[in-house]
Amino acid sequence: MKIIVAIKQVPEREAPVRIDAGGKWIEEANIQWAMNESDAYALEEALQLKEKHSGEVVVLSAGPERAGTTIREALAKGADRAIHIACDDLGDRDALGVARLLAAAIKPENPDLLLTGLQSDDLGYGQTGVILAELLGLPHASLILHVEKTDAGLTVKRELEEGWFQNIELPIPAVLSMQSGGSKLRYATLMGIKRARTKEVRTLSAAELAAPVASSVRLERIALPQKQKSTQILSGTAKETAAALVEKLKFEARIL
Amino acid sequence: MILFPATLAEPQHFSLWERLLFAGLVLLSITLFWRRFATVLRKILQSKRDADFRLFPLGRRMWDFFWEVLCQAKVIRQRPLPGIAHAFVFWTFCAFALVTLNHCAVGFGLGFLSSTSLAGRAYSYFAAAFAVACAGGILGLFVRRFLVRPRWLGQELSWESGFIALLIFVLMATYLAAFFVADVSPAARALWWLHSVALLTFLPVVPHTKHLHLLLSPATVFLSRGGFSHIPPLAGDEDFGLVAGTDLTRLVSLQAYSCVECGRCTEHCPAANTGKLLNPKEIVLGIRGYLNEYGPSSAEPLIGKYNPQEAPFQCTTCGACEFQCPVGIEHLPILVGLRRGAVNTGAWESDHGSRLFLALERGSNALGLPAGDRDKFIQKQQLPIFDGSQEYCLWLGCMGGYDPKGREIVADFARVMNYLGTSYGVLRKEKCTGDPVRRLGNDLLFQQLAESNLEMLSQSKVKKIVTICPHCVRTIQEDWKEFGTPPPVEHHSEFLARFVSQLPQVQGQEKIVYHDPCYLGRYRNVYQEPRTVVAHAGELLEAPRSHERSFCCGAGGGLAFLGEETGERVSHVRAAELAATGASTVGTACPFCNSMFRDAFAARGEDVPQLLDIAQLTARGLPNDAG
Repeated sequence: MKIIVAIKQVPEREAPVRIDAGGKWIEEANIQWAMNESDAYALEEALQLKEKHSGEVVVLSAGPERAGTTIREALAKGADRAIHIACDDLGDRDALGVARLLAAAIKPENPDLLLTGLQSDDLGYGQTGVILAELLGLPHASLILHVEKTDAGLTVKRELEEGWFQNIELPIPAVLSMQSGGSKLRYATLMGIKRARTKEVRTLSAAELAAPVASSVRLERIALPQKQKSTQILSGTAKETAAALVEKLKFEARIL
Repeated sequence: MILFPATLAEPQHFSLWERLLFAGLVLLSITLFWRRFATVLRKILQSKRDADFRLFPLGRRMWDFFWEVLCQAKVIRQRPLPGIAHAFVFWTFCAFALVTLNHCAVGFGLGFLSSTSLAGRAYSYFAAAFAVACAGGILGLFVRRFLVRPRWLGQELSWESGFIALLIFVLMATYLAAFFVADVSPAARALWWLHSVALLTFLPVVPHTKHLHLLLSPATVFLSRGGFSHIPPLAGDEDFGLVAGTDLTRLVSLQAYSCVECGRCTEHCPAANTGKLLNPKEIVLGIRGYLNEYGPSSAEPLIGKYNPQEAPFQCTTCGACEFQCPVGIEHLPILVGLRRGAVNTGAWESDHGSRLFLALERGSNALGLPAGDRDKFIQKQQLPIFDGSQEYCLWLGCMGGYDPKGREIVADFARVMNYLGTSYGVLRKEKCTGDPVRRLGNDLLFQQLAESNLEMLSQSKVKKIVTICPHCVRTIQEDWKEFGTPPPVEHHSEFLARFVSQLPQVQGQEKIVYHDPCYLGRYRNVYQEPRTVVAHAGELLEAPRSHERSFCCGAGGGLAFLGEETGERVSHVRAAELAATGASTVGTACPFCNSMFRDAFAARGEDVPQLLDIAQLTARGLPNDAG
């Protein structure tokens, strides 16, 4: 099975976020970059499928030169080769524009499966996967936690509200937008990094892919979220506070 | 003037048949010896070269050889009674080198230590004195092994040891008995033959048993890497640690064949003592078993038949084994080496381990918390930012920057420094020193963290570091050397001990038991300084296991991050031991120990001693407005 995983480089979770002078983006100096979280889960799922059914995992990323480090990371974790769409104006393109770039690079590859993250940690449109499927004329499912290959195609596990899940079947080729947390991510290893040095990274320019740049969505302004404090101090004995905490985590925060 | 009239009988006039028989037996004995010994030597020499091995400077090596081999200092100090007994056996063997040569020469009528000469006679008495001590010693060791039966010598009785003890006893008894018979008597001849048979049996037994240490351990002690837990740098692009036989270096193989199976490592190992699979002796014997079966050129994984993967990952890297080992085995490079092999190739799968690695791949601290939390703590405590003008950089570490109890320690240490008027500052950004990933064998992450921190320190122009965490101290000072030149670093106990006379004494005589952290004691040889600080704050009590023999808290080696233990918890065992001293306070000097005991005491419930770091003990004496 040939699987393409579209990954994006985004500011690291701990990066200090400051809005730049233009008010439309953050200051990029002094920021460290990382692989978008749900893309990391998409890559993990692809690698597990390859380990089970053999085949090839190709990572695809559009972005400036710095995106190369994230591509190397994906290769170190086990992807076989990579395509880097060199493009410095990612910020000027909307989700449709980026999807057109990616689709142009994907078409000649004819993959059996295309995985993307659910949404990016920076812009969070959650659109790229959906539009890609439309552009490529392939079936699509989103919020996927787990993918199983069957004789007919795929069985995938979708996340619904309130702790419900849905299992659906799809033919291949297909496009899936992967949710975070479905599997356990692997750590990068020294052996992986050394082996990745010799793996192929093909660089394509945005120009040669001839995808239209014109945006239909314009970003007006970005703002930092308002800070709000809602700390509650629970009092009582250790037993009482523990019980109260479980209560709150279950019914207020709904994380248990 | 000779006080003791007896002389050593020397049988005379051996017949040709006797001489031929003796020569044949000598040849047979040497052949049997050499066949096995040559195999062992070949396995050691065919192992990979130690890329970082340097023979020079010789001073340290010669001292180790003199002190640990010739003086038997470690053997005696760590187990006095059996140690003395062993030392007498060893010294007797040295004294008997000449006696044995003469004994064989006598068989061919070429004896050179004749009892008619004064020198020969004197030497025979000298050797006899040792023979008495040796016979007594070996009897004592026999009683210990077969009647007392200490747990760490293993469940099964070693008949091989009993046989060796018998041979040594026969050698000594036949030598001593020869003082009481006449030269020409048949008894003298019988004793000579009995001594010969014992001797010629002993020789081939040596390389076939753990008594190989007689021949190898002097070399092992002399050639050891030195330092403590010295983890060798990886050599080349295909070195990922101890993965297969081809990764075993000559030092590792030599050490594996030197093990005398005394079980001192096991006796002191926190994992082996709390029901874990790990037994450091079995790790070393596992390598030996592997070498015997597969050899040093094999691609068969080291983790497998002889060493289960679980065992090395139960090690707290406390180093009690390496410290105790009397034959120069360096357990930590082997244990960490096996971990490196598993982690660097991705063979190790652990949910907690992966979580730690991912937290440090993406974030800055081992606790996996946002870096902003550290900034908030610095602001709240109003800790000065290091700008290059201050004397000390106060390194917070993951525990000091993120853990609630670690922060209390930092805050109190800062108060002390404020009181003393010391100029210091904290870095705006800091990453984990890489201690947990270094010990867990993740070389990729460790290198990234070390390089990034070294770069940050050099940009900030840091000249001196002080920190509350012994793990940070060790990793910065020793482990970072592989990637650059770290600034000098000291632990806050060293700092506090220097200034303790300028600090107000705490009133009252509270009983405080001090717990030696492994990374401060065995790793850095700092035992007295924290005690000076504790004694300034109350009455110092010692735990039953202290100083070099301190028992680990269970946190080291990355284990603080690996979750549930099997068997009993190391921290609970140590906490109970500390509480049993009757002290009202446990004094710690490491934020990891502190956090382990905090949990252990919480699990014990009521009536537990309070738990304070030496910085907190000191800060209690400061006036309220200080800092």
